[in-house]
This record gives sequence, C-alpha cells and structure tokens, in this order.
Amino acid sequence: MTLAGSRMGALSFLNKKPDMNGPGKGGGLLGWLDRRYQLTALTEFLRHKEVPLGSHWMGWYYLGGITLFFFIVQVVTGVLLLMYYQPGETTAYESIRFLTTKVPFGWLIRSIHSWSAHLMIISLVLHMFSTMMLKAYRPPRELTWVSGYLLFLLTLGFGFSGYLLPWNKLAYFATTVGTNIVASVPLLGSWLLQVLRGGQDVTINTLYRFFAGHVVILPLAVVGFIGLHIVFIQRQGMAPPLGAKVAPRGMKFFPSFALRDLLLWLACLMVLLALAVFLPYGPGIPGMDWELGQKADPLAPAYPGIKPEWYFLWEYQLLKEFPPHLFGLEGPQVCLLLIALMFGIWGLIPWLDRRVRRDQPSPAFSDFGWAALLFLTYLTLLAWDIGAGAASGAGDELTALRNIARVCAWWTLGAGALVIVVRYLRYEHRWFLLSGAALLQVTLHGLVGLTYLLAGVISVVLAAVWIVVAHFVGSRTDRRSET
Amino acid sequence: MEEQTLTTSHPKKSRRDFLDLLVGASFLGWLVTMAYPIIRYLKPLPQTGASGPTHLTRDESSKLEQNKFVIVPVSGQRVIVLQAPDQQLFAFSAKCTHEGCTITYQPAQSVLWCPCHDGRFDLNGRVLSGPPPQALAKYDARRQPDGSIVISEQKA
Amino acid sequence: MFSSAAFAVDQNSTKPNPKLAEMIAAKDESGKAIMGPEEQTYFNGLNDNLRELLNQAVQKETITRPEHLAALLSLQLRPQKMELVLQNNCLLCHSDSANHSADTLFTLTPAPGATPSHMNLKEVVEDVHFRRGVSCAGCHGGDPTADLGHAHVKEWPEKDRDKNREWIVQFCARCHSDPTFMHQFNPALPTDQLAKFKESPHGRTLLEKHDSRAAQCVSCHGVHGIRPAKDPQSKVYARTVPETCGACHADSKVMAGFTRADGSPLPTTQLAEYRLSVHGQALLGRGDLGAPACNTCHGNHAATPPGIAGVSRSCSLCHSANASLFDGSKHKQAFDRNNWSECAKCHGNHTIAKTNDSMLASGKGSLCGDCHREFAKDNPNCIATADYFRQTITRIDEARNNFSAISEKLAAKGLDVEPISNQLTELTDGLKKSRTHIHSFSRDNFQQVALPAEQAVQNTDALVKKAREEYNSRQVGLAASIGLIGLLMLTIYLKLRRLEKPGE
Repeated sequence: MTLAGSRMGALSFLNKKPDMNGPGKGGGLLGWLDRRYQLTALTEFLRHKEVPLGSHWMGWYYLGGITLFFFIVQVVTGVLLLMYYQPGETTAYESIRFLTTKVPFGWLIRSIHSWSAHLMIISLVLHMFSTMMLKAYRPPRELTWVSGYLLFLLTLGFGFSGYLLPWNKLAYFATTVGTNIVASVPLLGSWLLQVLRGGQDVTINTLYRFFAGHVVILPLAVVGFIGLHIVFIQRQGMAPPLGAKVAPRGMKFFPSFALRDLLLWLACLMVLLALAVFLPYGPGIPGMDWELGQKADPLAPAYPGIKPEWYFLWEYQLLKEFPPHLFGLEGPQVCLLLIALMFGIWGLIPWLDRRVRRDQPSPAFSDFGWAALLFLTYLTLLAWDIGAGAASGAGDELTALRNIARVCAWWTLGAGALVIVVRYLRYEHRWFLLSGAALLQVTLHGLVGLTYLLAGVISVVLAAVWIVVAHFVGSRTDRRSET
Repeated sequence: MEEQTLTTSHPKKSRRDFLDLLVGASFLGWLVTMAYPIIRYLKPLPQTGASGPTHLTRDESSKLEQNKFVIVPVSGQRVIVLQAPDQQLFAFSAKCTHEGCTITYQPAQSVLWCPCHDGRFDLNGRVLSGPPPQALAKYDARRQPDGSIVISEQKA
Repeated sequence: MFSSAAFAVDQNSTKPNPKLAEMIAAKDESGKAIMGPEEQTYFNGLNDNLRELLNQAVQKETITRPEHLAALLSLQLRPQKMELVLQNNCLLCHSDSANHSADTLFTLTPAPGATPSHMNLKEVVEDVHFRRGVSCAGCHGGDPTADLGHAHVKEWPEKDRDKNREWIVQFCARCHSDPTFMHQFNPALPTDQLAKFKESPHGRTLLEKHDSRAAQCVSCHGVHGIRPAKDPQSKVYARTVPETCGACHADSKVMAGFTRADGSPLPTTQLAEYRLSVHGQALLGRGDLGAPACNTCHGNHAATPPGIAGVSRSCSLCHSANASLFDGSKHKQAFDRNNWSECAKCHGNHTIAKTNDSMLASGKGSLCGDCHREFAKDNPNCIATADYFRQTITRIDEARNNFSAISEKLAAKGLDVEPISNQLTELTDGLKKSRTHIHSFSRDNFQQVALPAEQAVQNTDALVKKAREEYNSRQVGLAASIGLIGLLMLTIYLKLRRLEKPGE
C-alpha cells in the first residue's frame, strides 16, 4: 500500500451519507446504529488501519497513546477533585486539607492526579523528542507537529495553573515569582501581569483565574487540539521511517496495536497506583513534591529557595544566569526574548528542516534535538543543585555555586559523551557540531568558570563560524551540515 | 473472520470461549477495584464540610457552661472559648505567645492566664502582664439562635 | 565631577546665599569636591526652613568652612533634629575642628580615649535630652542662642570630676527628682530614682563611704548619648542590661575589695553564669524580652541582692504556679527551718540551667538523693515518691518523643495525623503540668495532672495503631488492584497472542 493509498482510505467513512435502507449488518442495537451512522465503515476503517513497522523501535509509537492515557486519568481524577474543591480565600486550602485527610480515598485521588500530571509531562516530552528524532514532522505532517507543540504548551499551562490551586505557601510564592516573569514582556508586560493575576499582586483573584483556566479553558483547548491531532494522524497515518519510498510492513492497528496499547495503559495504571500509594506526596525531588504544607499567607515574607516544578527549572535557572541589565534592556527581558525565540524555533522545525522536506536525512536537526536536550539537562541540574551545594560545605555562596556548576557539568558531559558514543556506534551519526557546542558551553561554564552567558556566546559563535567555513570549503562531510 | 471461526475445530473454540470469559471476568474485577474507591469517595460524609465554622459539641458546651471556658480544636489549632460574666462569648488561640503553653481562663478576674510564666491577657487578647510578647490571636465565637455555639477564624 | 549648576534649586525654595553656595561647591587642593555625593543629595533634599537656618549660620559665621558643613551634612539627620543642631550655637562651634582641640570637639570620629558617647556628634543628637530640647545649656549653662558665651565652663564640669563622682547623682536629680519639672517632659516618668539609689548598696558606697568606684547615673545611662530604656540602642535596654552591669561586676579589678554582708568577697562570675543560664539563653540568644535580666530580680535604681526570702519572691513573679505549689508542700517548712533559699537551693541563682528530668534522682550524688539522705534520714517514702515522679515523667516524655517521630513518619506516608497531633498537644501539655506539679512534692497532687497525661499517651497509642491499620489496608488494596490489573493484562496478552497466531 502506498502512502497516497493509505491517505485516501483514511477517514473515508466520514463522508458516508446515512442509508436507512442500506444493508446495515445484523439486527439489534448495532444494526440499528449501523443503519443510521454507517458503523460498518468505521469498523472497516479500523480493520484496515495499519501502523508502519520500520527499522526503528516500535516503542516510540506508543508514547502518544500513553500521554493520552495520563490525560484521561487527569480528567477523571480532576472531575473527582472538583467535587470537594472549593476555591476561595478561606476554603481552597481547607478543602484540599479536608479532602486528603477526611474524605475516604481523597488522598489517593489527589496523589494520582499529581503523579499522573508529572508522568504525563514526562511521556509528552519523550513523545515530542521521539517525533523530533524520527523526523516524523516532515511533510505532510507539519500541522501534526504544530498541534502537538501547542498541546505541549497547554500542558505546561495546566501544570502552572494547577500548582496554585491548593493555595499553600509554596504554591503562592512560586506563582508570585512565576507570574512576575510576564512583567518583562515589552509594552504589554504590566497589563498582561494584571490580567494574569487579576490585580497587581497574587491574591485570591489570581486563584479564581487559575481555577477557571485549569478546569475550563485549558481542558476545552486541550480536548480540541487532541481531537485535531488525532484526526491529522488518522487522516495521514503514522509516519513511516525516513527514506521509505513505499510504505513499509505494517502492523494491524486493530487488534494488534490497540491491544498492545491497552496492555501498556494497564501497566501505566499499575505503576501510577503503586507510586500514588507508596509516595503520596511525590518522590521528594525538588520540583516534584506536593505536600500541602502551610496555608498561603500573602503577608508572610517570601523565603529563599522558592523553586518551580521540575519542568520549569531550566527557565528559572536561565533567568538567574542573566545580569540585571544587558544591551540596554533588562536582563529578564533579554532572557524572555531568548526563551521565546527558542520556543518559536521549536514550533517551526518542520519548515526550518529543508533537507528532510526533500526526504533526505538531516543530521543537523537530529543533533539540534540532542543539543537542546543537553542544554535543558544542564540548566535543570544546576537549578536542582543535586546536592552538590550542600556537599561542598562551602560557607560562602559563590564557592557553593561554583561547586554545583562543576558537579552538574561533569554529569552533563558524561551524559553527552554517552549519547554521542551511542549515536556514533549504533546509529552511525557523524554530525555532532551542535551537541558539541552545547557541551562546550557546559565545559566553559562548569569547569573553566566563565559566566554562563559568555560560555554560551563563545559556543554559539564557534558553531556558527564552523558551519559557515564548512559551507564554503565545501568538502563532502561539510556539505551535509549546510542546513 | 466469521468464516474462520466456523472452520475452527471444536476444542479450540471452547478454549477461545474460556479465554473470552476470563478476559471478561478479569475486566469486571478490574472495574470493581476502580469503582470501589470512587464510590467511597463520593459517598457524603456525616461530618461538616471542609472549612466553615466549628460547632461546639454538647460535651464542650456543657463544659463551657460549667467552667466558663473550654478548649476546642479548630482546624488543627487549640482554641479557648470563654464566657464573660455578661454572657458574652470570646474565643482566642489557646497557645500562649511566649513559650506555647496552653492558656486557661480565670473567671474571677476575667483574665486569660498562662500558668507557665504567669502571663495574663485581657478579654481582647492583649497582654496585661508577664513575659508574652504578643497578643493572642482572636477567633470569632457566636451563639446561634438554636443555642449552639459556632467558632470560626476571624478574617484579618 | 559635580558643578555648582548641579545644585540649582527650584524657584520656589529658599536659595542658598552666595557664601553658602560657594561652600557647597568648594573643592579641596586636589580639585575634588569637598561635599561628597551623599552630602550633596542630602543638601538638595533640605526644606526651606533648614536652608534658611543654614544661610543664617553662614551669615553669622558659626559655619565658616566647607569641611565643617560637610561634617554636619554627613550626619544625614532628620529635619527636626537638623533644626535643633542648626539653632544650637554650642554644637555648631564645638563641631568645627578649626576652633577646638580634641577634648572639646564633637566629631564623627572621636579622639581615641573618649568614650564613644562622650564626644560623638552622632550620639549627642540621639540623646533623649537633646531631642526633647534640654540641650547643652540644660546641663552646662550658658545661652545656646548667644553668639559667644564661655561663662558656662567656669563651674561645671568640675575639674576633679573623675576622682569624686558624688556630685553626679545630685546633679541629675536637680531635674529628675523634681516632679513638677519632669511633668513638662514625661508625666509618667518616676522621680524617685535618687531616693531609691540612696538606699541601694551602690548609693551607700558612693554617698556614705565616699567610694567613687560605685555605680551612679552615668555608669549605666551614659553621658551624651542617653536614650530611653525601650530604645534598643540604650545601655539599659533589656538585652543590653547584662553587659552594662557586667562592665563593673564581671571585672575583678573593679570589684576588688567589695564584700558581701558576711564579709566574703563579691564574686565576678555572675555575667558568665547568667549567659549560660536558661534566662540568659532566652534573653540574649533568642531575644525573648520577657526573660529576666539582672534588674528583674535585683531592681534598677535600688539594685540589691534579693536575699534568701526574696529569691523565691523574685522567681514567683513569673513562675507563680511552681511557687504556689511549693508553698503548699512539705518542703516549705523544712526549707524555712533550715533558712534555705527556696528556688535557688535546687536551681541555683545566676546559673539556673534548663531543668532536666534527671534532677529527680534518688541515687548518690543526685539532687533529691543527697539532700534526703542528710536531712530526711533516707525516708523510704520520699525516695519512692522521687522515683515515682521520675519514672512517670520519663515514661510520658519518651512516649511523646516516640509518638512525635511516628506521627511525622505517618504524615509522610500520607495519613491523616491531625487527631494524633491533637492528642500530642494534650500530651505535651500534661507533661509540662506534671513537671510543674513536681513542686508540690506530693503524689496525690502530681497524679491530678499526670493521670490525664498518661491517658493521653494511651489515646495516642490507639490512634497510632488505627493509622497503621489504615496504612496496611491501603497496601492490601493496592496489592489487590495490582493483582487484578495483572490478571487483566495476562488475559489480554493471551487473547492478543491468539489473535495474531498465523492462519487465524
């Protein structure tokens, strides 16, 4: 079956007109429904739908489904939580407290909701990176990438808004710090901040807004985009491996793929339940902890060490690496600009990767994905501090910071080296310029002791010069890197 | 598929039926384990809801009547409820602001008294004498029309 | 580099006259502006009234040099205080280093040897007398508004003021013992300080024995930087009192030759002992202003040792419950008979350590044991009671520590520990009361509070058991549901394998 063929077949049942006198199969309810809604067409579609088998590991194809599973868990537990949660100054914290202490299985529902949120983000990020590495975003699937990318942003919004709802101290301060970043947006900053917070400061009005966002606006948007995402995938089929001119061997979607999916979902449920029962407040890693703690008190002084959830740690750390002023702008503004640029590039990858549009391998973009991962890893480890600050026993802050940077750099370099070796031997990759640049920055900052920004600028400039020089020299290896 | 089913031999068919039965049964079992917590979760509780005021129990009310004061837990904090000579009700945090001992009420002098270091507070919670550095946090105590007594946190 | 244009002021405000403007813009020999940026900012922020006063001072030549002006501006005084300074010719003249030698010059960097508050300009303007308008002339005489008048120095301070300090108390008392006069300033301030002082050992030493080593007003309150007792920078602020008293009492040189009533030399270890005591730790360590300092037990102007009967009265100011229990106990009569000071006998005086349950021991070398062996002749009843107290309290204390740790662990496992915490509060309360009721030295009295505490131990135990059962049932539930999910997975897997069997 060719790609074009599979595309034609997909979703053709949607076009069927109801045929009341048609040969609806069988009697009973199914037959009755079939005569009205042409169910046979749907089952025919499912029966013929196939998942391409390729040289790469099948596992990557399941990640989207797992993410969907966690989202469904979120919806179910979220609706249950909603039955006891009371947003409000004197009720939000108390109702969560009541829910977790007095309501039978309330602790379990909240614990599952929190665990599932984190696991969903993990599987979503893995799904996104696997799509990136397998170049599944290449035409004609650009919009699938974009819709997935928007789902990723919406999920981050879920995490951020849900964090505030228990109205405890930690959430309150983290939200104050988090929303403050918005103020750096040029021109609109203070207006946006007020819209987001429902006033100048984080108050109970902010909670109402986040609540509305978390339980109405974001779910509606996410459900819509998931629908779109799935329609795109059904319409086009799953992306076969790069370079396959004809569709490769396929696995039947039903029952083979669907039942495997179901098995995996059940396994995920098992893990989720076990985690929720044994670690009801999270694994105790910074940024992954949801013990209720004390009630938020807007008048209490903020305390040091307020950190966001783990998936925001890299942004938090990047903001810290910027000086107060840079190029006549405020440091956070420059940082925000940089983050916006990175997110922009990420969303537009299907159009930027020109080689893959011609169905040619694009090693530069594979490397770009790995470089991005290493970049995020290093920043996250820095923010996490992985115990290095305390272990150094250094009294002064600067020495402790240097120590943290050094330990984190070694970890990142180790991971980076491992990735490069595996890619070189197993996947025969030969293009490591960008991940090399990312590791160079890590080395310059963590081991040499340059500032983070200087190390970054040096690495980016070197990488750029290399690419330009290689382009002009035009040797065989270098032509590969021209993108 | 249907044709194949027809051609399969009898023992195989029964094995398949048995397997289907097993799938169905374990699915049902799974459904029960999922449904049980949810049903328990949704069953309304006899006690009052999440926040909201704390009602004094009959026991506590009679103690208040007898001793002119009673100490009750309100959202995890110990609160002293007292009845002034003019029948007015007051409620304060029962934790002394000095060393955290539990405070009692002395009806004869109309003062709140901490036995640990002889700290005294007036009926506004203000320090009258002794080492306590701050006033006691005030709670709201109200007598309902039906005679029951309700304590709630006072909004700052 | 700042130019004079930088100091151009609004049309509306008073302009500096040419002399002042010139002074503000002045530069030293190296070409550097004499006014630093901070002084310039301060000057720019001055109100019209102060600018006018500065103009006048320059006109009258009480300020003649830019360095002098810079020193005054660098004080960064609030407007009200700056007004007092600028209207005070004494201070203006005595703060110009061109006019005065070190011993009569008020400066920000007083000459070595001068006590910090003595000639420190910053301290002087903080002085409570200065702030309330009793400035230099109030003590030294003369007219601060007159241009010149050195008549004030002729009588006072006396030339030999260091040798004989008896005059100081009388001098301060001229105002401070006059209720009518003091009423103008602070009607609530007592005026009996001198009367009290005369009765105190300090006063008797100074005024009767004419020994000028004894403390008088200035020893504790300072000279030019006197602040009210509630000012945290005051020498008599609660947290500073131990240091102030210790300046003499912890100095063996100063205290040499002073004796107690019984003729024994006065010790100098009180401050060191106090610092280690539970009270010292509370006041100096934790900043608990409710904790007693020297003066809480000894008094202020009438400072004196409390004496044997007085000790328990001092203690009972705060520890009233313990005191009244003791008064009702058998020990009271025994202590009175032997003329022992009540609290101090067991707890010490300056060294009062944090109490410890091991004080309740009946063995050799222990507090209860040793005394009882000597005075109660090993009365087995007493020993049994002490042991009973100790065992009960240790049991409750251990249970509390144990349950607190368990409660934390249970909370980390996600269980509702609120009822346990409530019982623990009850338990802690009972423990505190039991320790207090030791002072009744009566089994019955002790049991009134110990039994509820022991009841709370049992209640907590039951609650902990219940929470553990809950945790177990959670695990059983988890195991059951995981088992069922596993079964479902297995059957689905078998089904899948069958469906994928080739030929089916």
